[in-house]
Amino acid sequence: MRVPPPRGASAPEAALAEAPRAASSPVRDLIEQYALAFKEYCSEGGEAPLRRAYQLGRRAVGAGLGVLEMATVHQEALVAAHLERLALGESSRLAQRGSEFLAETLAPFEMTSQGLEDVSAILSGLNAVLERRLRATLRDLATTQSELLERKRSERLKTEFICMINHELRTPLTSIHGSLDLLQIVAGEGLNERALHLVDIAYRNSERLVRLVDDILELQKFEAGTMTFRMRPLEVLPFLQQAVEANQSYAAARGVSFRVTDVPAGLWIRADAGRLMQVMANLLSNAAKFSPPSACVGVAASREGGCARVSVTDHGPGVPRRFRRRIFQRFARAAASTDKTGSGLGLSICRAILDNMQGRIDFVSEPGRTTFYFDLPEWHPLPAETPAVRPAHP
Amino acid sequence: MKPLRRILFVEDDPDIRSITTLSLSTIGGFTVEDCSSGRQAVARASAFAPDLLLLDVMLRGMSGLAALKALRRLPGVGDTPVVFMTARVQPRDLAVYQKEGCLAVIRKPFEPRSLSERLTTIWRQHHHHATAD
Repeated sequence: MRVPPPRGASAPEAALAEAPRAASSPVRDLIEQYALAFKEYCSEGGEAPLRRAYQLGRRAVGAGLGVLEMATVHQEALVAAHLERLALGESSRLAQRGSEFLAETLAPFEMTSQGLEDVSAILSGLNAVLERRLRATLRDLATTQSELLERKRSERLKTEFICMINHELRTPLTSIHGSLDLLQIVAGEGLNERALHLVDIAYRNSERLVRLVDDILELQKFEAGTMTFRMRPLEVLPFLQQAVEANQSYAAARGVSFRVTDVPAGLWIRADAGRLMQVMANLLSNAAKFSPPSACVGVAASREGGCARVSVTDHGPGVPRRFRRRIFQRFARAAASTDKTGSGLGLSICRAILDNMQGRIDFVSEPGRTTFYFDLPEWHPLPAETPAVRPAHP
Repeated sequence: MKPLRRILFVEDDPDIRSITTLSLSTIGGFTVEDCSSGRQAVARASAFAPDLLLLDVMLRGMSGLAALKALRRLPGVGDTPVVFMTARVQPRDLAVYQKEGCLAVIRKPFEPRSLSERLTTIWRQHHHHATAD
């Protein structure tokens, strides 16, 4: 019986998986034995595995297998061992031992006339194929490695660049913003109404630039992974009261008020209080910004499937439908928004903060009622106040 | 508590220097000695006898931290409280400033209109802590 031609290179596991269907069980056993002995010889060398190689060769001849089929078995065992050992930088020893092992396996085949021709042909052919594959694998590996290094390098450059630009922007910005601020306060009386109006425009826009520069640096820290979080247990109700108090003046300037309603007592989360306060400031100022005059913004919390959900509800015009998908993206601002004081980065920073605290942020919106909310895993205080009763030692 | 009156201010950017000096003297009513380099500050500090040092961190030549070390060696300036002004406020930078014993860090850009008030608050808190200790 002539053996089928060798299949293309397939993973050894695939060969083994195919074996029960494609071959009788003695052949499958042979393939497994071969892979084991081969692996042993590659890692430890020695005479014993070589003797097993010879015996396996004899069994293969006896089972009516041909050289080509053995070569396939060998190639798969070699690739498996190769991939396993590549990281250890032992490829040349592996190639050497691979050839020795195969030569031993094929020795019994040399005793048949067809086998002799096949053996010499296959040995030289296989060597060439293996070498090509080895080179290709090494090349791929080197490429992947240099691509990775390159990507890391460009990320580091980007971080450095943003930090540098940020610092360079701050110096002139300090002068511009400071001059305009002083112009209003110190020299304001000497200016006529039109000049004061222009100074006001310049001042507000320099303020916006300052926020933009701050926010870009902030986002960069998230991207570079240099942002640190101090997670601590935090009770929701006092936290929300504090948040409302801290942002009250912003709302008052717009004739809007905040009201904390419906917060379950004893609801705790684990969070970085400073970062979460940043999220609250963002949600509250957005809500105030988009509220009609003298409206009330509601702040509430609830339990939602193992999480604490904090929500901020305004009675503004609602998030435009076309804008909803982009709202958490950078520099996202609804086209119709007349308020241009924000950096357009606020909500993407909120999302980055919540992502880092295993939370999530989302919203529901309809005209006249928009709720932004975030969920954070609820934290249950351990009963540390009541020390655990330990059984006394006998 | 001794009131805050005399501020030694070091900043190498001439525009920021003049804005800050203007706001500290006009709004805060402080006596300000403004210096354009750490070297100049070291030369003038003892004679000026400041209540507070206000230092930029990224000075050309002698850095703000180096200037502080040099100022600390001068007679009468050794334990003068210090506030840094800087555009670099990464957490690891802040840790360095704190190690050098600064009371607070004013981040650039800042609002000149409220700078004097901020310094007065920082000053009051410092003395409150100092007496509490």
